[in-house]
Amino acid sequence: MKKYMLKLALLSGVTMVLFSCQKSTLNPTSTTALDDKTAFATLDRIDGQVKGIYAAIKSGQVLGGRYFLYNDARAENLVSEDPNRVTVRAPWEFSVGSSDDEPRNLWSNAYSTINRANLFLDGMEAGGNAVAGAKATEFQGEARFLRGLSYYILVTTFARPYWDGNGSKRGLPLRLKGIKGPGFNELAPVTVAEVYTQILQDLDFAETNLAATVADATARTTRAHKNTAIALKTRVYLSMRDYPKVITEANKIVSTTAPFKAPSGVANALAANITNLFTGTSTDLENIFSMPFTVNDAPGTQNQLGHYYRPSSAGGQGIFSLNANGVIGDTKWTKADDRRKLIDTASSKSYLKKFNSGSPWLDFAPVIRYSEVMLNLAEALARGNAGVDARAVELLNAVRNRSDKTTTYTTASFANQAELLVAILQERNIEFLGEGIRSLDIWRLGLDFPTKSSGGFIVTAIPSTSPAYIFPISSDETRLNPLISN
Amino acid sequence: MSMRKTLTLIFGMLLLTGTMLAQTKAISGKVTDAQGAPIPNASVLVKGANTGTTTDATGSFSFTAPASAKALVISAVGYGSTEISVGNKTVFDISLKSSDKELQEVVVVGYGTQKKSSVTANITTVKGAVLADKPAPSFDASLGGRAAGVQITVPNGVVNNPPVFRIRGTNSINLSSYPLIVIDGIPTFTGDVSGSLAASNALASINPADIESMDILKDAAATAIYGSRGANGVVLITTKKGKRGKAKVTYDGWAGWTKPTRLWDMMNAEEYMTVKNEGLANLAIPAAPRYLPTPGPDGQTINTDWYDYAYRTGFSHSHNVAISGGSEATTFYFSAGYTDQQGMILKNSFNRKNIRFNVDHKINKILSGGMNANYSNELNKAAANSGSLPGASFASAGLARLALTLPPNVSPYKNDGTYNTSGNAIGRMNNTENISFWNPVPIIDNNYSNAENDHIQGNVYLQLKPIPDVTLRTNYGIDYLNVDNRQFATPIIGDGFPTGASFGNLQKNKRWVWTTTAQYDHTFFEKHALSVLVGTEQQRTTNEGYGLSRSQLSDPFYTNLQGGWLLNNTSGLALGENYLWSGFSRLNYDFDRKYFLSGTFRRDGYSAFADGLEYGNFYSFSGGWDVAQEKFFANSAIGRVVNSLRLRGSYGTTGNISGIGNFASNSFYSAGTYNGQATLAFSQAGNPDLTWETSKKTDIGFTFGLFNDKITGEIAYYKNDVDGLLLNVPMAPSTGMPNNPLTNIGAMYNKGIEVTLSATPISSKDFRWSTSFNYTYNDNKVTTLAPGVPFITSATSLETVNITMPNYPISYLYVIPTAGVNPQTGQRIFVNAKGEKVQYNHAAAAGSRYTYLDGTLAPAIDAGKDQVPLYNSIPRFYGGFDNNFSYRNFDLNVLLTYQGGFYVYNGTQASIRDQRFWNSEKAVLRRWQKVGDVTDIPRVVYGDNVSNGSANPISENVQKGDFIKLRNVALGYTLPAKASQKLGIASARFYVSGQNLGIITKYKGPDPEVSSNGNGNGNQGVDRNTVGNAITGTIGLTVGF
Repeated sequence: MKKYMLKLALLSGVTMVLFSCQKSTLNPTSTTALDDKTAFATLDRIDGQVKGIYAAIKSGQVLGGRYFLYNDARAENLVSEDPNRVTVRAPWEFSVGSSDDEPRNLWSNAYSTINRANLFLDGMEAGGNAVAGAKATEFQGEARFLRGLSYYILVTTFARPYWDGNGSKRGLPLRLKGIKGPGFNELAPVTVAEVYTQILQDLDFAETNLAATVADATARTTRAHKNTAIALKTRVYLSMRDYPKVITEANKIVSTTAPFKAPSGVANALAANITNLFTGTSTDLENIFSMPFTVNDAPGTQNQLGHYYRPSSAGGQGIFSLNANGVIGDTKWTKADDRRKLIDTASSKSYLKKFNSGSPWLDFAPVIRYSEVMLNLAEALARGNAGVDARAVELLNAVRNRSDKTTTYTTASFANQAELLVAILQERNIEFLGEGIRSLDIWRLGLDFPTKSSGGFIVTAIPSTSPAYIFPISSDETRLNPLISN
Repeated sequence: MSMRKTLTLIFGMLLLTGTMLAQTKAISGKVTDAQGAPIPNASVLVKGANTGTTTDATGSFSFTAPASAKALVISAVGYGSTEISVGNKTVFDISLKSSDKELQEVVVVGYGTQKKSSVTANITTVKGAVLADKPAPSFDASLGGRAAGVQITVPNGVVNNPPVFRIRGTNSINLSSYPLIVIDGIPTFTGDVSGSLAASNALASINPADIESMDILKDAAATAIYGSRGANGVVLITTKKGKRGKAKVTYDGWAGWTKPTRLWDMMNAEEYMTVKNEGLANLAIPAAPRYLPTPGPDGQTINTDWYDYAYRTGFSHSHNVAISGGSEATTFYFSAGYTDQQGMILKNSFNRKNIRFNVDHKINKILSGGMNANYSNELNKAAANSGSLPGASFASAGLARLALTLPPNVSPYKNDGTYNTSGNAIGRMNNTENISFWNPVPIIDNNYSNAENDHIQGNVYLQLKPIPDVTLRTNYGIDYLNVDNRQFATPIIGDGFPTGASFGNLQKNKRWVWTTTAQYDHTFFEKHALSVLVGTEQQRTTNEGYGLSRSQLSDPFYTNLQGGWLLNNTSGLALGENYLWSGFSRLNYDFDRKYFLSGTFRRDGYSAFADGLEYGNFYSFSGGWDVAQEKFFANSAIGRVVNSLRLRGSYGTTGNISGIGNFASNSFYSAGTYNGQATLAFSQAGNPDLTWETSKKTDIGFTFGLFNDKITGEIAYYKNDVDGLLLNVPMAPSTGMPNNPLTNIGAMYNKGIEVTLSATPISSKDFRWSTSFNYTYNDNKVTTLAPGVPFITSATSLETVNITMPNYPISYLYVIPTAGVNPQTGQRIFVNAKGEKVQYNHAAAAGSRYTYLDGTLAPAIDAGKDQVPLYNSIPRFYGGFDNNFSYRNFDLNVLLTYQGGFYVYNGTQASIRDQRFWNSEKAVLRRWQKVGDVTDIPRVVYGDNVSNGSANPISENVQKGDFIKLRNVALGYTLPAKASQKLGIASARFYVSGQNLGIITKYKGPDPEVSSNGNGNGNQGVDRNTVGNAITGTIGLTVGF
């Protein structure tokens, strides 16, 4: 009996001591990430979240590099020197498949920006506004600006242009509520017009609520203010071919006469010399909105603009040279033009020199420049005037003459409206080479993507009726959200 | 017990052996079993004295006994002991015949050992001796074909790359399917722990020569006691212990050579230029030749064999010294190992130094204790990216691909002897087309990317037997693994171009495990044997990582992290913790050694789950019937042939937590930067309802012995139903979610049959042949995925060739069907989603390249639409055929392994048929050239990356993977005892061996035993730009002193 008692005592003793578990260790808390319930607890965290939305759209897959590259690769000005499919070959040759990285990554990263904005807006409504106080609406303005911009990026890449059926074609799944868990995969797309309506609602809200002036030069270049929202609206309306609205919006930030500058808010204006804008991190007032990079926050491998455009002799990969038959072949683009200084040659090929800071390629990626707003306005004015619109010519001349002192346009330079429009379009082509504007122009005007070739490899012209005219929607989306298809 | 006491004891014993008195005589002999097979590690002791030895691998022994020795006591685990009088004899042939051998044999089970006769679980034991001398850094790589139910796929020839290790199929989709590895009671770290370009299998810290046995736990009865970690099976590693008797010193050493085998047959410079220029001529507007010869320094046209700049014959050697022995109270095993193994890839190597120290001590009748400690330092080295580790298939520096695709008409060197580079690419020489690949030679010469591990594994235990039937034991173990990753990339070319780059980071993994058990064994009324185990266990794992990443060299002089650099960034930041608390018990009962019942129960609490959901219960029931013990059977006619027959069955549940994030149930916001300012963003969607992934395992089987165990066998049927399968439920990208949250949602099963047959067809005095064959058939099927998730694809870097969907096995090959080459046009024929045949002409303008066979325009093939699930990639059957022959003092081992019933996506074939500037395999010489040519190679067109599957995976590149491999051949010679004695040594064996010597397969790549995605669950069966397995040869020596 004694033995059994001993046994029992020992067993239960051991059991008592060792069965007790460390309760707190079983429910640890992370010390490297914030619990989601605390994300709106302080003003700094809220401010940090706004910057987090910028950080998302700044991804190398979107405005950090590739969105611009896709747009320029599709147009006629570049020659792909590298058959490697990883480095934007498929968009260049119009062979993008729905499971290729280009549509998949652009789609997912743009929507990731949208979800960050949505989560932010939801959280502000659920209590963040009280914490943010006076800054609350401004923060919301930034979030909605970035959401609108993201939808614009998506609709210009994955949907038919607005002119095709007047916005009645398949648009995008419109996500306006933050998503934090499973169960939301299926959502039917709305029409193109409905996407534009949302974009404009977001940008109107942003215009109303964003700061009018920003003192810090870097902040006013890398975060949105009132004029940023207005500037983007001129581009959005241009894409919709709503020229009167382009004029209305542009007039808010373009003075009626030269020298053209924004009469209110941040004093955006044309820079004295275009080359000053491409020195790496220019915060010139012409630079309305740019994506910034730092050493520890670089665009990432095979996303950097300079990596694509600079030849190996300049530390790049020389993936795209400039097509001699493209815009650089324009004989009216004179040798005296400063914009020719942004082009150089290596091994008898021309290369774009706008992004030239070398590895790790921290050059700002310009999103909207003041010269674009001017040319948007010029085009809208020109289209609205059956004759040769004087102010349109004046705006066009301001852009041309800034870089090319030898050329001055007057109304006499153009026989008719059509000639003026051709000149404005060509000016855009010259001015924004490598800035992702050219194929947007082709697309919104319903032009063919012109033929081009690389080393005997010919890419035929792509008419606006071709399925390749736009990117296919990511196969990840069509698989998991059966309500949308290509 | 104090360290000093232990040392004193050992020292004392060494003294004893050294100061043997002159009154001695030499004794030698051999210990064999009833079938004449040698019994290694049998103890041979002089009765009444501490003098003695243990037998070597051939069962031989020799030692010096006192002249006064009257009798020898011989014993071995699994055999009865026997006593033999010495008399005047000096040479003894001892046969350990044990009528109840089965009863005596002991099997290692979870948290203890059990008599083999009473085990109702499915456990396969592999002796350490069979793997000890294999030229591989870790034991797991040599396990292939050794045990039924165990599938080992050595993924490629990268040194120390962990094998694909599956027990009874792939049992998870998003978590790990790797078994739990428990070393002397402590679950250890597994997988590739390297953060560099070199692979580092965590299990390489265990010197294979230190392993006594590996017990592979397969069914629920065996694994349920490991609860939430048992679903993938458990491998219990027991390291060697000392045996009572005179201290025994052994030396094992080998030296070996390794080289690539079955490399692709690539075109030479002349063929290359012919084919590539033909591609130019085949353009719509024929282009002039651009691939032109360049004279080398000798004036001859350059014709580079790029294999010379990627591969080598690597030299390896290994040395182990062990001393073991013990007194009545204390036994010890003490070993030191050194190995240096060069791989077949240039500058890829593995180096290990390790020391092991195992001591067991009986303090008194009640109390005993002991400790095991292993320290290992491993240096895993690489220079270039092999392109063969998971995620590296398309790496720009991937050496496997570069060695295949670099043009043979350029040289790595310019004629002046300097590196041939042009910017960040190889110089094109006289070609007029840029070659945008890297020159691997400056990378191999200047770069390094190493992982150095410091791994300490050890445990101490104390055991109390207060009364005879009760054993109390507490065991505390630590497993500390520090991995130091270092990399330097030259600015000349490659990842470091143009300014150089370097990183270094330290990853610290720490674990402690404290296990306490109480066991009660008693036989009531002679026939009712009861054994009860209860225990608790706590396992705490933490990890921390930090490091520095630097770029922009301030001077080319610097080649390390500490040198001059301009930019600093972080590298390898990590912080994690998890905790597992468990209580468990096991009950075994048998009646009259005929009827066996067993049950286990375990309750686990795991920190990754939300508060309130941390606990899970796992249990098993099993039973057995020893039919041969029944009188009616033993006396029957069958009973005379069938000397043993045991039926067995089990059912139970196990879980899987391997691969669940430490905070998987939490949602987080994380820090980042925007223009150098702090940002905060939603970074993890957690699942607060997350809970265990559980497997329901069923096992039914029987073991038998015929003709007094001349033939033995085991046959088992199993089914493993995994439900509540944890899936990273794919989110539609338009949700913008940062991650796919883990959700308990899917279901999958593995079922199959295992057969093991062993026999000793010949056993005469001089010649003996023993053989063992095993076969496993495994059927894997996914039954459900999440609602709204029709399938899950798994990528191989940039390419997706695997799909997992309901009613198919996991990891099905997912490709675009092709239908050969149109003899009329020479164009590849694809079959689109509508089943229409579409041909592709790369020479046509973009937008009009796809046509129907009648020439009308067809929609372009789009992988997203036209890929279909076509082939199974998981071997349906596999096994091994092991043969041991001995003739007098010679022994020969021949091991064949096989896998079958699966296909491999040979993506490398797409690379080497690509018609960009890439070099092609010689098969491309049979390309289509004129109307009517019937061939499998389309017309070559400059720049064509579509027709042969580079742009999108095609069925043309899927091949049957079935193979039979000559895994191991070893021929040994053991010095006769007398000769050994003359040399003053106890024993000596010499051997030569070869691994991977031959293969029978229809697979066209180097090796169908391949995995470009390592241990990935959903992306097996892919060979994408991966190096093949090496062929090795070794010579070795084992000496006992």
